[in-house]
Amino acid sequence: MPKIEVSEKSFFHFLGRKLSDAEMMDIFPVAKAELDGHEDGVLKIELNDTNRPDLWSAAGCARQLKSYWGEGAMYDFFSTEDEVVDNEGREMVVESSAAETGRPFSIGFAAKGHAVTEEDLVSLIQSQEKLCEGYGRKRKAVAVGIYRQNLIHFPVHYQGADPDGTSFVPLGLDEKLTLRQILEKHPKGKEYGAIVADKPKFPYLVDDNGDTLSFPPVINSAASGAVQVGDDELFVEMSGPALKPVLLVAAILACDMADMGFTIQPVKVRFPEPTEFGSEITVPFYFQKPVTCPLGLVEKTLGEKLSADDCIASLKRMGIYAIADEENLYVTVPEYRNDFLHPVDVVEDVMIGHGLGNFVPEAPHDFTIGRLSPAEEFGRKAKLVLVGMGFQEMMYNYLGSRREYTDNMHVDGKDCVFIANPMSENYEVVRPSIIPSLMESESVSGHAAIPHKIFEVGKVCYKDPSENSGTTTRNHLGFSVTDNAVGYNEVSSIVYTLMFFLKKEYTLGEVAEDPRFIPGRCAYILVGGKAVGIFGEIHPQVLESWGVGYPTVACEIDLDLLRQAN
Amino acid sequence: MDIDVKNLHPLEVRLLRHVKVGEPITAERIVSELGYNVGQCNQAFSWLCAKNYLVEKSRTTHTLYEITDLGKKDEQDGLPAQRIYNYLKEQGAHTLPEIAEALGLEKSEVGSAFGQLSKGKIARMDELHRAFVEKQEMLREVLIAGKLLSRALKAPLDDATLSDEEKRVITTISKKRGSDSPLKVSEKEEVAYELTDLGGQAKEAVIKSGISGEEFNAVTPELLESGKWKNGSFRPYSLNAPISKIIPGRLNPYGAYIQWVKDKLVSLGFEEFDGPLVEDNFWNGDALFMPQFHAARDIHDVYYLKDPVHAKTIEEPWFSQVRETHENGWKTGSRGWGYEFSEEFTKRQLLRSQGTVLSAHTLTHAKVPGKYFGVVRCFRFDEVNATHGADFYQTEGIMLGKDVNLKTLLGLLKMFATEIAGAEEVKYVPSYFPFTEPSIEVHVKHPVLGWIELGGSGIFRPEVTRPLGIDVPVLAWGMGIDRMALMHLGLNDIRELFTPNIDSVRTRRGN
Repeated sequence: MPKIEVSEKSFFHFLGRKLSDAEMMDIFPVAKAELDGHEDGVLKIELNDTNRPDLWSAAGCARQLKSYWGEGAMYDFFSTEDEVVDNEGREMVVESSAAETGRPFSIGFAAKGHAVTEEDLVSLIQSQEKLCEGYGRKRKAVAVGIYRQNLIHFPVHYQGADPDGTSFVPLGLDEKLTLRQILEKHPKGKEYGAIVADKPKFPYLVDDNGDTLSFPPVINSAASGAVQVGDDELFVEMSGPALKPVLLVAAILACDMADMGFTIQPVKVRFPEPTEFGSEITVPFYFQKPVTCPLGLVEKTLGEKLSADDCIASLKRMGIYAIADEENLYVTVPEYRNDFLHPVDVVEDVMIGHGLGNFVPEAPHDFTIGRLSPAEEFGRKAKLVLVGMGFQEMMYNYLGSRREYTDNMHVDGKDCVFIANPMSENYEVVRPSIIPSLMESESVSGHAAIPHKIFEVGKVCYKDPSENSGTTTRNHLGFSVTDNAVGYNEVSSIVYTLMFFLKKEYTLGEVAEDPRFIPGRCAYILVGGKAVGIFGEIHPQVLESWGVGYPTVACEIDLDLLRQAN
Repeated sequence: MDIDVKNLHPLEVRLLRHVKVGEPITAERIVSELGYNVGQCNQAFSWLCAKNYLVEKSRTTHTLYEITDLGKKDEQDGLPAQRIYNYLKEQGAHTLPEIAEALGLEKSEVGSAFGQLSKGKIARMDELHRAFVEKQEMLREVLIAGKLLSRALKAPLDDATLSDEEKRVITTISKKRGSDSPLKVSEKEEVAYELTDLGGQAKEAVIKSGISGEEFNAVTPELLESGKWKNGSFRPYSLNAPISKIIPGRLNPYGAYIQWVKDKLVSLGFEEFDGPLVEDNFWNGDALFMPQFHAARDIHDVYYLKDPVHAKTIEEPWFSQVRETHENGWKTGSRGWGYEFSEEFTKRQLLRSQGTVLSAHTLTHAKVPGKYFGVVRCFRFDEVNATHGADFYQTEGIMLGKDVNLKTLLGLLKMFATEIAGAEEVKYVPSYFPFTEPSIEVHVKHPVLGWIELGGSGIFRPEVTRPLGIDVPVLAWGMGIDRMALMHLGLNDIRELFTPNIDSVRTRRGN
């Protein structure tokens, strides 16, 4: 979940008032925010809504809270398809070569009239990072660049450039490199280069004089791409493979910067081919469609009959403008939000705006019958019999290493389910059997008084080509006894007692070969002629691999098979 | 000081009753007067001294003469000097080798015995080197030696009980390491004890309590058979005697806690669900309306299977309905996520990363009204540490009903707060989950832990329920029970819940 750090000075400036920690904790849920810390004048805020990138900045979070107090902001710099704001001649041209970069969309807007402060700079960099890393999925979906507008001559050109024939001095280095060299040499090139590395052309942003702005989504130029405190004219550019996400990020950043005190200056972007919003888009651009939400859905979902006026007032507290007739709410989605997929998304805002505390909990009144699963009930029976025979129940992790589950057991492991992207080799395979878990206990419990009588009822998973997933998950029982002297007869007696009380008739079958057990001292448990389990004396080679110094017997039974067998 | 006579062993009781203050108490005396064997006697002394009832008064060294095998033979057959004397008297004069042969004695023995006789003028050698008896009266020291052997046969002889003459004689027939002489000399220390004042009080207490030391030790089949128990009493035990530890068969306390939670949920009308550990992207995320490009779905958040990489099929109509819902909203009233749904991605298999997967599966065959839950193992791509396990349990559930709504959800959460967390106070906070709208987090004031987040919940989005064939609202909830479990078990590291360490699990108690 996104977390931001903001200076209280900056945050309280956006809020227009100071709040105590308690007041913040009280009001923050309105923005699904949590106060995570407040130290040395810095607030740590966690934002829980991963579908509301507009909240991931001090300005955005403050905006949400202020609207709750009836101090919602209005933004007049958005164009729509029908109403276009004057761009005062600022233009961007997306050239057709951009299609070859895999990122055909680049848009921008300008801002002036406010000298960037230290706090603004920190805040802008943080917003840029949260939007690009989180919402923009590590710049794959959206990359943002901010430039010094006074060094730029419009129109700005976005093009697909020859990776080897285009070069500039990237921010952070002092030598001129080609785009491809940047991927190899610049730290940002190494971090983000993979997004474009296999494309025939690389994205390239350049002004009308031919001065480089950047190589998005990798790095700005050293010349115009280093914004400093005191700059009062900026140009903000967003690029990516799809149009709506970049438009949304432009909307969010424009609103944030307007809240900082900037005057937003629209830029007209010309595309080589018509987009879903035409071939010319003036940015910031409002593209949300109104949402119709039936009042009946509000009542059905919230369990409370709220009048249209109540709903409208609740939405207003959330910064949302709505009107209503007898049937429906008609909602105008705020410029900076793109999370209204379904009318239920309106209902939630009504709920928060109305105040969650105003809904009185009601006990469920539908009668339903509770029951445990048959596997759980059968497992509990087996557990009780083993506990009665003096066994300690253990519980183990289901993920482990190849060493534990196959090597130490002297089995080939071809039926094991391995993970393609393990974090460490200690957790790279799902256990195919409970016996290795029991052996692990023995290997770490040499100091525990003997005899050790332990068991687990748990799940195992292994390959099974007959299943849709090619694997099967089974409920198993495994137990083992470790003592100075213990052997086949003891484990056979335990199996007998267990099966007697589980009311299962069984016979024993010979085991042709199983390297886990001593040959001739292990047996299959057959119910209705079908093997449901195996038991015997653990082979000394297994004991040696686990570093176990006492004889051990073990048994493992497929409880699902046993339960269903007759 | 309190004297607990129940702490006294019968050997101590009988001894205390027997002796008087001021008397010397020795092992010899107790052995002969109370019939203890030496071992019992020493035990009684050692216990009583430890309690300060007895104190050592004196320690004297005694020289003891014990009869050897040779001595026993000599006692029976007579000492060599006696035998030679008798032989010569009966058979007349003989040479020493003849005597040795006739009596089966070593020549050296015959030599030294004859020397003794000759020195005492009892016998001497004639000119033919034949020994003959000269005097009809036997040498006194040989007679004394014979008597000493007879006495030693009954009990070792104490040097202190011998006359001066006997003392002189006995040195001639004894050695320190005595297998080649009739008597073996040893030194023995005898300790004399006395009752202390405390010991005196203990004696009084014993007498007053009426304990005789002759009480029955235990009920035995013989005692019952004979009926003798009717004529006696049983020795009372000290109630706080040290106990031996038992290793019982037991449920794992974490497992017992999970069973308790399951039973609670069953009592609230929930039916348990379960499912396989291996899932595919379809059920693990797509069916929950998480877009395929969602950040929580990349390789840094879930464990993908190496083999088989893909599920064979995704069942219809779920597959088409979910795909369309993602792309354009299908018939759910949603605009959808507006991207091209990948069939390859949806079939890719992984280890279940959230319990909600099973809620989605359950929707395809759920009853209305219906309540379902599961406590199921989940896997996340995470560094293993005190708060993150390689795999862990999630507690999840759903409630379906024509008229369930936000207020029912709040009521359900309140029920969990009371019944499972034992909390009186509950706080609801708006939250976000990709599959619910609205979404609510519930915080409860736990009696021990204070305010904690009990869980997340919400009403499933229509984009989740409709494609899976459900047209009524579905409340969905998940609970974090591990923090409460850790508290119940007195632990603070989540890895401990699945420890393989037997000792650690054996001693863990829980609530």
